[in-house]
Amino acid sequence: MVDNSKHASSFRDPSGYIFTEEGVIKRTIFPIYFKQYNALTSAGFFDSLFKNKLLIPHKEVANSEDKIVIQPENIPFITYPYEWSFNMYKEAALLTLKLQKYSLEKGFSLKDATAFNITFHDGKAIFIDTLSFDFYQENTPWRAYKQFITHFLGPLVLAHYHGAQSLKLMSNFIDGIPIKMLASMLPFKTKMNPFLYANIHLLAKFEDKHNEDYKGESKASVLSEKGQLNIIQSLYDYIKKLTLKEHSEWGNYYDKINYSNDAFVQKSAIINKWIVNLNTKTLIDVGGNDGTFVRKIDTDLKQALVCDIDNNAVDFNYKAIRENKESFITPFVLDVLNPSAAIGFQNKERDSFINRMKDFAPDVTLALAVIHHMSLSGNVTFEMSAQFFASFSKHLVIEFPKRKDSWVQRLLNSKVDFKEHFDWYSLENFEAAYTTYFEVIEKKPIANSERVMYLLKPKDVK
Amino acid sequence: MHFLYFDPGLGAMIIQAVVAAVAGVILFSKGLMYKIKTLLGFSKNQEENMYDDIEIKDQDSENKQ
Repeated sequence: MVDNSKHASSFRDPSGYIFTEEGVIKRTIFPIYFKQYNALTSAGFFDSLFKNKLLIPHKEVANSEDKIVIQPENIPFITYPYEWSFNMYKEAALLTLKLQKYSLEKGFSLKDATAFNITFHDGKAIFIDTLSFDFYQENTPWRAYKQFITHFLGPLVLAHYHGAQSLKLMSNFIDGIPIKMLASMLPFKTKMNPFLYANIHLLAKFEDKHNEDYKGESKASVLSEKGQLNIIQSLYDYIKKLTLKEHSEWGNYYDKINYSNDAFVQKSAIINKWIVNLNTKTLIDVGGNDGTFVRKIDTDLKQALVCDIDNNAVDFNYKAIRENKESFITPFVLDVLNPSAAIGFQNKERDSFINRMKDFAPDVTLALAVIHHMSLSGNVTFEMSAQFFASFSKHLVIEFPKRKDSWVQRLLNSKVDFKEHFDWYSLENFEAAYTTYFEVIEKKPIANSERVMYLLKPKDVK
Repeated sequence: MHFLYFDPGLGAMIIQAVVAAVAGVILFSKGLMYKIKTLLGFSKNQEENMYDDIEIKDQDSENKQ
């Protein structure tokens, strides 16, 4: 991020904007929002949410007639809604509803309900749009209701009926999935469900009807506070009970792969030793499945990003985080062959995964049992994958499965006629390509397996 | 309304009264079902409580997990 610049995503709300000053994120508040800000502060509203860890804490750093500047606590790595697993997405939805209910009880209301108001921090969902709270106008409907449906209820219901992959639609529909599209994608039986009928199908009908008649009149109807609270509660109850139906191909992953118990233990020991010796505080485990290896690390990590292409593995990890109350692991869904792109206006509003990695700059990158998938399923050459890892890694711990490994054999055999194309997949070629971009600090084969561990350091670390 | 920097959707504003009515019925019948089940002695399904309820505690105490 450039110094002293306004953040590219912070331009819609006239209440203020986010900017960076010497690498620190701050928020300017304009006089138009002073009344709200002061009311929220003096009522202890902010404090209560800080204590409950539901809103990112901030401190005031400047207060004058024409602006107030606050500094929110730093979040080292932001994940976007299209990177969340199903249960993470659920938590974000429930958090929004919790905050709206709490706001109403205190005489406030959320101005917007976009999924980008939330991110994950210290092991749980947290609200980051501090200026989203406005005064509640008696008996008016919730202005953010439609946005809540398109950003939260819609994607979650789609995921329930069509699989967790549906959540990725949010990277294209950055303002939520259009209501009409949502309604048309849901199975007919959802029209028989009063809750879904009212919140999605009927809404789609009304939107349609009023889009054509729109003459600029704001004929909002009347809705009592109790009525609005009923809506919030019913949304909360419904979403809380939503589940996914699918199985993952990575279920029982550690049974299917070819490690003897000794090999598994040895691999953990090797990784652990390297990580401890490097005084690692932050790392990313690419293709880290459910976080098993990260949890086996002895040293106290400040933050471990664990990403995987499989929603179920990430969900499993996320559940463990909540049960164990771990705060150092940040799980998210990522396809290493198609990591999140930069999107939004000028493609700068929401940063790409690779850029966020360059900013986060983890001490160690773990690429365990992932290179054979990149090479054999993704047809990515060693040269290309080496370049990719070198672009953001300070140190790379990579596990190379040799040709005779059972998973590699499985992948090769599935190519049938095309199998010979992959004759380049060999230890020698791997080393030749990677030593162009990295120096080998240590190389250790795992006994009783066809896998070799490498500790690498990029050459010419910029 | 100067904070209205995005279109809340006219349809969405109008329809909330209907949605609230539906929600009211659902919540009422859920409450009723629960009471009936308890009276008849059916135990309430304790689903895995990964998510807590909608209330936010005001006190200084830590948020429940």
